[in-house]
Amino acid sequence: MPDHDHDHDHDRTVKPMVDEITDFEVLEIALRELCIEKGLFTAEQHRIMTEYGEQIGPTPAARLVARAWLDPEFKALALRDPMAASKEVGVDWLDPTGFGTPSDFYAFKILEDTPTVHHVIVCALCSCYPRPILGNSPEWYRTPNYRRRIVRWPRPVLAEFGLELPEGVEVRVQDSNQKHRFMVMPMRPAGTETWTEDQLAEIITRDSLIGVALPRPGVTTNIATKAVPAVRPITE
Amino acid sequence: MTTAADREKRLALVSRLKATYPEIPEWPTPDIITSDHYWAYLKNNHDQGAQLNPPEPFLEKEEEQWELMTYALCEVLGWGGIWVSEERRRICNVDVGLPIYLGLPYYSRWLWSVGKMLLEKNHITWTELTDRLAEVQDRYAGGLNGRRPAAQPKFEGDGSAVHRNRNHIDAVGKGDPVMYAGQAGPAQFAVGDRVRVRDLPAMFYTRTPEYVRGANGVIAEVSYESPAPEDETWGREDSTPEWFYIVRFAHSDLWDGYAGHHNDALQTEIPERWLQAAR
Repeated sequence: MPDHDHDHDHDRTVKPMVDEITDFEVLEIALRELCIEKGLFTAEQHRIMTEYGEQIGPTPAARLVARAWLDPEFKALALRDPMAASKEVGVDWLDPTGFGTPSDFYAFKILEDTPTVHHVIVCALCSCYPRPILGNSPEWYRTPNYRRRIVRWPRPVLAEFGLELPEGVEVRVQDSNQKHRFMVMPMRPAGTETWTEDQLAEIITRDSLIGVALPRPGVTTNIATKAVPAVRPITE
Repeated sequence: MTTAADREKRLALVSRLKATYPEIPEWPTPDIITSDHYWAYLKNNHDQGAQLNPPEPFLEKEEEQWELMTYALCEVLGWGGIWVSEERRRICNVDVGLPIYLGLPYYSRWLWSVGKMLLEKNHITWTELTDRLAEVQDRYAGGLNGRRPAAQPKFEGDGSAVHRNRNHIDAVGKGDPVMYAGQAGPAQFAVGDRVRVRDLPAMFYTRTPEYVRGANGVIAEVSYESPAPEDETWGREDSTPEWFYIVRFAHSDLWDGYAGHHNDALQTEIPERWLQAAR
């Protein structure tokens, strides 16, 4: 006969040792199986999309900005025809379907910072983000905290990221709420005059391309250091 | 097996979820609902911009395997012409309602939208979904024991008779919204024009944020032609594309009693139907 009271106490104090499948995993598997059995897409298409999703990241975006800093013609191209400039750093926005990733559309714009204008991007409605060239958005970018506040109190929020801008600089918040995807082209910092493209690319962090940080010699990491670990992270 | 005590526990948990304004009783009569409260309840819950929020830490998160799988699932359904992203954005961000919107993880809402869409478009039945959920639960009953959760479709179905949209064909080689270029006629506004955002009684879906409605701004860019999201979200393929504009607003015009830096600005993208000329 099960000792009910004992189980109850146990339940409260000790985490179960059984490695249970989560409700999210059950739902994802059930839906994917049904879709494939109904012929809505093929397992091969799903594999291609998964591989696409696994290889995206901020590297090509950093490369694009580094090259623009060094080559005025390439910079002009990046601002005039960002799709062509993306291709030069290995990103074809029409991949992997022939018409792009459906959620990211095909309208990309690079916002150039100047001595008098600093840009920062947000999607106050969801999490619109230039995924093909910058990878997945960080968790904080998707939270109501960031989305609610950056549009209304940009300077205090930027200060929380450690970024305080002088009064003479206009802070321009770009809310990407429709089909356009935006990325910031920050200014090249002083002290990098003799640097190579590889050296420059290292300090062009994801955060500096969102606009919550500025590239600085010696800084190659993003600002938030705490990461919530996954229950079952992505495996190769 | 579920006992009476288990049921009691579940019911007690659900009873604690609050979904209404505290100043209005649950299940109100029509006479006590003001227009302000009516529109507050009807507001699209994805429209979070400028709502009040205390500062909170900015965290990174490691991605779950099922989150990547969910992303791929949603995208591959777009690839196959089962939906366009504007349908997903409504179903997973608005149709879920506020408790799920704020109460469950980001990608779980993407997943929710897949199930809802497949049912509403008659690709699957409720019975098929429920049976498959139970089957997958049974497959892993007693724990994973070192296994990774994995999809095991019984066969690959013949999709030749599946209803698919035109978008996934027309967009090939061009992308969306480039595919709509040349279809909207002349743009009504030009860069530098002063415009006012209309304050439309937008029910069910919109992507024009409440924080700019009624505000004056300046056209910063004539963007592209596309069906408005308010049409596209219902899977309508007969809607006429219109011009979209990036509109720049001075912070001092957006926020009452603004005392911050006076040259700070905000830009957002708005379809033509929402704009009117302003002086």
